[in-house]
Amino acid sequence: MRLIPARSGFPLAVAAVALAFLGLFLVYPLYNVFQASFFDPSGKALTLANYVKILGTPFYRAGLINSLTVGSLATLMTIAIGVPMAFCVARLPVPAKPALLALAALPLVLPSFVGAYAWVLLLGRAGLVTQGLREIGLDGISIYGKQGLVLVYTLQTFPYVLLPTLAAFKAVDVSIEEAGQNLGATRWRVFRTVILPVVLPSVLSGGLLVFMETLENFGVPFVLAEDMPILSIQAYKLFVGEMGANPASAGVLGVLLICCTTAALLLQRYYLSKRRFATGARSVPPELVVAPWLRRLGACFAWGVVLLALVPFAAVVAISFLKFRGPVMHLEPSIGNFVLLWQRGERPLVNTLMLATGAAAGATLLGVPIGYVLTRYRSRLADLLDVVAMAPFAVAGTVLGIGLVISFNSGFLILTGGWLILVLAYMIRKLPFNVRASAAILHQIDPSLEEASINLGVSPARTFFQLTVPLMAGGVIGGTILTWVTITSELSATVVLYSGQWSTMTVEMFRALEGTGAGTAAATATVLILATILPLALIYRVLKRHEVALL
Amino acid sequence: MTAIRIDGVARAFGAVAAVRGVTLDIRDGEFFTLLGPSGCGKTTLLRMVAGFCDLDSGTIHFGERRIDTVPPHKRNAGMVFQNYAIFPNLTVNGNVAYGLKARGIVPDQIDDRAAKALKLVHLDGYGARWPHQLSGGQLQRVALARCLVIEPEVILLDEPLSNLDAKLRVEMRGEIRQLQKRLGITALYVTHDQEEAMAISDRIAVMNAGSVEQIGQPVDIYQRPATPFVARFMGTTNLLSGSVIRHEGDRAVVRAGGHDFLVGAPGIAEAEPGKAIGFSLRPEALTITAPGAKPPPGWASLEARVVRIEFLGALTRIELALDSGLVLHAAAVDMPRALAEGPVALSYDPARVTAFPGPCD
Ligand SMILES: Nc1ncnc2c1ncn2[C@@H]1O[C@H](COP(=O)(O)OP(=O)(O)OP(=O)(O)O)[C@@H](O)[C@H]1O
Ligand SMILES: [Mg+2]
Repeated sequence: MRLIPARSGFPLAVAAVALAFLGLFLVYPLYNVFQASFFDPSGKALTLANYVKILGTPFYRAGLINSLTVGSLATLMTIAIGVPMAFCVARLPVPAKPALLALAALPLVLPSFVGAYAWVLLLGRAGLVTQGLREIGLDGISIYGKQGLVLVYTLQTFPYVLLPTLAAFKAVDVSIEEAGQNLGATRWRVFRTVILPVVLPSVLSGGLLVFMETLENFGVPFVLAEDMPILSIQAYKLFVGEMGANPASAGVLGVLLICCTTAALLLQRYYLSKRRFATGARSVPPELVVAPWLRRLGACFAWGVVLLALVPFAAVVAISFLKFRGPVMHLEPSIGNFVLLWQRGERPLVNTLMLATGAAAGATLLGVPIGYVLTRYRSRLADLLDVVAMAPFAVAGTVLGIGLVISFNSGFLILTGGWLILVLAYMIRKLPFNVRASAAILHQIDPSLEEASINLGVSPARTFFQLTVPLMAGGVIGGTILTWVTITSELSATVVLYSGQWSTMTVEMFRALEGTGAGTAAATATVLILATILPLALIYRVLKRHEVALL
Repeated sequence: MTAIRIDGVARAFGAVAAVRGVTLDIRDGEFFTLLGPSGCGKTTLLRMVAGFCDLDSGTIHFGERRIDTVPPHKRNAGMVFQNYAIFPNLTVNGNVAYGLKARGIVPDQIDDRAAKALKLVHLDGYGARWPHQLSGGQLQRVALARCLVIEPEVILLDEPLSNLDAKLRVEMRGEIRQLQKRLGITALYVTHDQEEAMAISDRIAVMNAGSVEQIGQPVDIYQRPATPFVARFMGTTNLLSGSVIRHEGDRAVVRAGGHDFLVGAPGIAEAEPGKAIGFSLRPEALTITAPGAKPPPGWASLEARVVRIEFLGALTRIELALDSGLVLHAAAVDMPRALAEGPVALSYDPARVTAFPGPCD
């Protein structure tokens, strides 16, 4: 393969701009995190002292172990739920399938810490359900700690497994199944020996996403972990620490987080590289004819999981319209919470909307050309770009935030304290999704269209803007709005990077949780949920037509 | 008015040598076809000329101008793609005008030239339509108009007819040929269909595994294949291997499969007795007569038995077995009366046998 893409300066220009950007705002900050963790305070001598110190402290060791345990359990749970559910949806006559599928993807974009908070409102110490149960003499159910984290993560991230597995089940051509049976295998045997191996890669890629997401998540453990040590929280606390910031120790935890996610990523790549099945069903497998009780069971299961994942969000919206006195809620309708929220200023809402808009636009402007170069101009340089552009995927928001602060609070470029650093962090974090979405859209556009344009005398750069971009437009708009939606609920990098006037809705909610403003928190949560649902409802058709996936 | 000179061009994809040192001289105004089986490198070679595939070595010239170093959008070589590549977001007019706009032609001239181009391909009045409202054949014409309207120096066509049904394919190939001759434009055409290649081309280059096996006019390629590969690729043939036994004037007697064949190919007189050679005998060169009938003077004859008759309409294919069990294929126009399974006499003109140095596998 060539080192650099040939025949045109356009891909080269895109790669140069993208690599410069990512080099400055991703690689350089991460390098600084590594540097902080591997060097002694003078910054000259390499040392492992920081690692020895952190790993020698039981509190931090426990954090690492807890994070990995919770991540693994949540991954196993999502697989245990997602795979049977995918099979039910793919092969059983579940009622209202389109609605089910539209709703099933929602938990991925709804803010996860809002979900966690919703569970607290239901099952927390003063939760509605807890109180109800206490009245009938049931006590001791707790949403806090490991079980709560695993429950919330599972309900929040199961679509990562469900959606690709569902697609894989549907892509197994019915003739494969018939061929298996024709060769004398029972249905169960065909399922075990043919279908399951074919869908397994999808299950595992989904599982990997779950694992990475849970490992780096900040908001959910912040709400639910209480005293239990969790890596991402510890890194944050060390960095903004009350007893003076400790970038070296925070760096160590950051590096440990990156190592875990990267190891998971490499493991999955290694596994998938050996198993790639070309499927592509000409005829989608038909629904199975099964006993009525089995059919009902399947439908209840699928709908049950989706509703269980969404009910807390509905509950939080309802609760936000109740009257609060301090942390205690009363069953009395009121818009007091929203009034209170509004009195604290509209700045956070405005900030959230503006920052998300800027960052979503930026991520698209950067991501679409990168996706284009990756799909259309294969070369070593493009491979490098691919790796770098996908890297944010393995970097926890907290760690990126820490790196950006270390890098840009002094020196040649000072960004801390402003809005730009937030926009940059969001852009970097959402870039992998944008690049992958663009690549997916491009795969549906025949490359000979672009060749025809170039052949007719239009330069590659102009062809991209004049022909490819209009052809991609629908999908790109869908992707941008999805990016926008997920940025509005970003917490882990924001909480490290925001300052004074640039607080966002998520930070407001974070603060309300730290304080006693349960009512305000619920109101903020409602605003965040609406900011997610309304745009998605508006563009649902566009997303469907262009098959913009959430993953 | 452009000749295309392809000189020592090569390209490998990893370990696969897609094109290995191909040299072609395509004359000005010629309809030249690259013909070969799937994967032999035709598309790769064509895309090199268009500029969509880089050369590992070699040069390409349009006339005096070296173009392999010119970026594809400046080559002025119109290309027709296998799947048409019609821009779905533009109307027929928009598609045809696309290249003119890129060249900065003034708007009224664009309309004028686009209308003329559509007329050329019998699509006048279709300008306002959208691509999805057109049939495959019409899309093909739009692709042709779009490529011709920019007045390219050469046109490049990569299996442009393979997505059409059989009847339309025959019709369109006639039209393409007519148009090309009328405009006097040099055309480089790619196909794997030997019948299409012979019908449409001035000259053909038969390719195999990245190399050119033979260049020539359709008649020559069919009747005088240079290699066993070409003989086999250009339709059915009887390909035999044997050794020279003796000479009879400028012809040689070759023993193959236990029978003596008279081979009258040019140059055969030089083959030493005992030399192993291969030869090809086209089915239609074999004449079937009643057993014992005398062949025309100078012809060779064999005794055989008809074992299978395949009636194909205009043509009948006949499978014959010789005493030794050697099977030969013959073909006759129409269904010869009184043809039935059983013994017959087989005769042929030795001059119609093509010989190759060395046995064919
Ligand atoms: N971009 C590419 N990367 C790797 N290998 C390629 C590439 N393009 C072509 N090849 C290989 O080069 C060889 C020649 O391919 P080419 O497309 O030129 O064949 P072709 O003669 O046009 O065949 P067909 O009649 O099937 O279209 C094949 O072995 C093919 O696999
Ligand atoms: Mg081809």
